Amino acid sequence: MSDLVLKIENLTKTYKIGKRDVQPLTNLNLEVKKGEFTAIMGPSGSGKTTLLNVIGCIDKATSGKVLIDNVDVAKLPESKLYKIRRDKIGFIFQNFNLVPYLNARENVELAMELAGKFQGQRSERAKEFLATVGLSGREQHSPQRLSQGEQQRVAIARALAKDPAIILADEPTGNLDVTNKQEIVKLLADLNQKQGTTIIMVTHDEQVAAQTQRTLYLNDGKIIKDKQPQKDALLDSSSKSKEA
Amino acid sequence: MIVGVIRRQKMGILTRATKNLSRRKTRAIIIIIALTLALTMLIILPPSINAREAMTRYAFNGLISADSALKGTITLSATEIQCDYPPFFNSSMIGSSSTSNILTQSFMNESLYNNITSIPDVTNVIPILDVWAVSYGPYEIYGAPVENASFQMDPTILPANITEGRNLRVGDSGVVVLDEETAKNFSVSVGGTITLSGRNFTVVGIEGSELPQPTHGVTMSLADAQAITNMTGEASAYKIFVDNIDNVNTVVTRISSLDPKLQVSAGLSQLNTAEPLQNQITELTQAAQNNLNQIQGTGLAEISIAIIADAAIILFIMLYSVRERTREIGTLKAMGASNTTILGQFMLEGVVLSLVAAVVAIAIGVVVVPTLASLLLPTPVQTAVGFGWAPNGTVVLTRISFGPRPILTGNGSNVIAAPITPEIMLLGLGAAILLGALGSLYPALKAARTKPAEAMRYE
Repeated sequence: MSDLVLKIENLTKTYKIGKRDVQPLTNLNLEVKKGEFTAIMGPSGSGKTTLLNVIGCIDKATSGKVLIDNVDVAKLPESKLYKIRRDKIGFIFQNFNLVPYLNARENVELAMELAGKFQGQRSERAKEFLATVGLSGREQHSPQRLSQGEQQRVAIARALAKDPAIILADEPTGNLDVTNKQEIVKLLADLNQKQGTTIIMVTHDEQVAAQTQRTLYLNDGKIIKDKQPQKDALLDSSSKSKEA
Repeated sequence: MIVGVIRRQKMGILTRATKNLSRRKTRAIIIIIALTLALTMLIILPPSINAREAMTRYAFNGLISADSALKGTITLSATEIQCDYPPFFNSSMIGSSSTSNILTQSFMNESLYNNITSIPDVTNVIPILDVWAVSYGPYEIYGAPVENASFQMDPTILPANITEGRNLRVGDSGVVVLDEETAKNFSVSVGGTITLSGRNFTVVGIEGSELPQPTHGVTMSLADAQAITNMTGEASAYKIFVDNIDNVNTVVTRISSLDPKLQVSAGLSQLNTAEPLQNQITELTQAAQNNLNQIQGTGLAEISIAIIADAAIILFIMLYSVRERTREIGTLKAMGASNTTILGQFMLEGVVLSLVAAVVAIAIGVVVVPTLASLLLPTPVQTAVGFGWAPNGTVVLTRISFGPRPILTGNGSNVIAAPITPEIMLLGLGAAILLGALGSLYPALKAARTKPAEAMRYE
């Protein structure tokens, strides 16, 4: 698994809603290589966000293995999981989720501070990351004074600041207008190509997904299609066998 | 734990705690005002309680002393009469011992003794010779009739407070009891010898000085005292015992008729006049005690209210904050914040709130202590009691007052001195930190235990 940053084996996630058992993910298998830009698509309730949450260690698998950089996070207690989130994962949310009382620079610094990185030079590094996402000169602006596109750029800079193994983006363009949407996707694609950042992105938008190297289609908690430029319409073997 | 988190995160956590407060300024100001009210009470109450307590305790102790002094004036039992010649001044205030230097003593002779002894219903006449230092020399000579056991009828005849050695006893001769001052002047202790008028006396005891009982200088047998002062047959006072209470007044009249200059004190009069005064002082003492209890009770209740109010305000505001910022907590956790970091941030926010309020409270407290303390605490009391005894031996109240101590603001002797000292300020800040930490502990734990996935779904 040397070039694999993520390997999921027989992942099942079950939870209860009232007295009803819900299984958003069923025996799911997935491998993601370092530097891949992957989109996850599927109808509402297909398990996209749950899959992202399990990979991001903010939700736990009911069974199966989730290996991030060779560490099975499915078996880790919360006392260790936060370190995986801190060191290996960068999140980008649909609603940006910036800390409202911190300005753009401080939001980026916060990620470095939690990860214990760049001590003594966080302010400078935060400015560099903001410059990377095209926000030079906007460092002191509070989230309320930034446009939605700019807020999402801050969120991307914040995710990058930790230098994570994987960036998980949950519908990052969901709340953006067409122009901002295109710019954000282009930014993510650039980061992926120029810096080799591994990105897994949930989206409803075919046009956004088309910008990635690989698109996974989920339905009823299973990957029903794994579309890659080289291997068109290759179904996940496990999901395929289950369906059969 | 919080300190550790702060150190690791280079104060970023403190910056966030402070910045969050400034996000909703109006709300923060209202909370700080509420906390300030509670903390102002907490800061000004302890010194104000102490100052009021001290004042009332002073009045209380004054009454206890007055009661003790009053008891000391009752020197005779109900069937006992004392007669002596008054010095120049025929009345004396308690505690005015220095006046003895300018008074002249008169003594009674044996013929008067015989006349009194022959009065019907008189059962015993005990002579005492008390020669003041001004009459004898540098020492007061006190002769107690220890030649026989009759002196034991009046326990006040012998020194009351022997701190070393022993008291005089029946049959003693050639021995003395010295009071501490006299023993010091003679540089002698128990077992030592002193020479008076060419006669040697062995020191058998030391009399401690304990108010209100006056000490006697050199106490010895009556015969020895008369011998060294060349006053054989003379006495400074007679303690006269009557067979029945009903005959006391008659005997007093008979003694007075022997010589109009005689000062005759009846124990019965002392007791009858002292009792209502004692009752009055006891009532005032009780009132002072009640005032003391009221100050302490009210003060403690108000301090408790201030503590509970401060912690409760922080508890509720931080619970609200945790609920309002659930998504933020989820985001921080998703970014890798540990439970300790979240706990530390929310506890620190509570502490910062409380500390800001404490600083304002100290500033306000310095200015409003006298006024606010007057509103919050009962007024302390002041009292004054003065009494003496009349020539006929009755106890006379010369002055009695009791009431609230007037409290003024500004400068002046009646201002209750309860300054907010640096120590009080530090204690106030310490209490604010503690209450801030305590009040925010539960909300912070709740925040720390929030599951990130649930927090992210929270609307």
